[in-house]
Amino acid sequence: MERVRTRDVDAFEQLYDGYHRLVFGIALRMTSDATMAEDITQSVFLKLWSAPDAFRDGNFSAWISRVTRNRVLDLLRSRANKPAGEIPADLPAELSLDDDVFARIDAERVRLALAALSEEQRTLIELGFFAGVTHEEIARRTGIPLGTIKTRIRTGLRRMRESLVEAVSQ
Amino acid sequence: MSEQPIDREAMFDLVAAYALGVLPAAEAAPVAAFILADADAREEYNALRATANLVGTIAEEPVDSARSARMKERLMAHVRSDATAGARTRRPAPSSTVRSSAVWGTALAAAAAVVFALVSVIQNFTLSSELAEAQRKATVLQAEASAARQSAESAQRMLADVSSPDAQRFSVAYGTVIRRGSHVYLALTSLPPVARGHVYEAWTLAKGAKTVAPSVTFTPSGNGLTLVPLPEDADHLAAVALTVELEGGSKVPTTKPAFVQPLS
Repeated sequence: MERVRTRDVDAFEQLYDGYHRLVFGIALRMTSDATMAEDITQSVFLKLWSAPDAFRDGNFSAWISRVTRNRVLDLLRSRANKPAGEIPADLPAELSLDDDVFARIDAERVRLALAALSEEQRTLIELGFFAGVTHEEIARRTGIPLGTIKTRIRTGLRRMRESLVEAVSQ
Repeated sequence: MSEQPIDREAMFDLVAAYALGVLPAAEAAPVAAFILADADAREEYNALRATANLVGTIAEEPVDSARSARMKERLMAHVRSDATAGARTRRPAPSSTVRSSAVWGTALAAAAAVVFALVSVIQNFTLSSELAEAQRKATVLQAEASAARQSAESAQRMLADVSSPDAQRFSVAYGTVIRRGSHVYLALTSLPPVARGHVYEAWTLAKGAKTVAPSVTFTPSGNGLTLVPLPEDADHLAAVALTVELEGGSKVPTTKPAFVQPLS
């Protein structure tokens, strides 16, 4: 990323080669539309090229995953002509200790951490991230009470974090 | 130990939902204010947000070679062109939007023909009662959509204000007074319930004024945090205060203020 910040085209190309499958995969999973996923991939990387300072530090895969998710939500909202802000933007990024600790975590470790959760927790967390809907909509789709969903998301994320911290410390 | 363990636990559940990105905008503003006002909530949010962001990393998909080549060619053509021009692309336009004027001319002519044809067809129909009813329903729906949009925009503006790093925050009894630009909010995290027939009433003291004026009345939200936007322009205010009053509000404060907070 340091080289991309200096407008190094070759470095940007390497970055694209390394991460376009991830960006495309998230967009495809969220939209189920390969053409739209292609456009979103293009949009995310153009944004990265035009504003490389947006990524400060931490786990690049995690950061670009969130950027992609937000881009998909923006696009889906604009196409559905829904009011902006159905799901709001994140708070201004504040680098936490976990961002640094998780910098070395790869997708396989994340899969293992998710697999260690109960099926209920895992389903809700994956649905929450990839479906791009509110917890109320998740409750409607799954038939699970809203209060239960909120608690499972929290306990699931906390347990997942514990697994990841443990994996890093080994 | 928290004074309100159940409410606080519920707020932390909402912090987790916010970290995952599943909280509706209307609920997000008070949760964002809570995160900013509470060190434990901030720590929890940062930890869970870092964890939630990693969830996306499992979605990597193989991209077929033809698609991959097309995507890369399209992107890199733009990037190389931008790099050659030596200018940063602040707002890059998708290459698919670049079309020749000839194509646009053809498209516009076709669109004009379609519009002309539609107008001709519509003019051949008498406006039926069904059409009038449909138009009435459309008007109602438009009004509802407009109200929903305004509500969402309002929630989004509140979220931006209370979470802005340049907002001023004043610690007061039961929470924080937040001022950003001309907007002022009461973000109250541990407001006791009021007796039946009573409400909380906010008061504002205008600059140069000697007496306070009534602002809004409200009751605690019940989820541990009450976020109240005051309608007054903060630029014209010297201070805000909070009292308990009879339902319907008072014209002058009748009880001892929970706080009086200067805005400077």
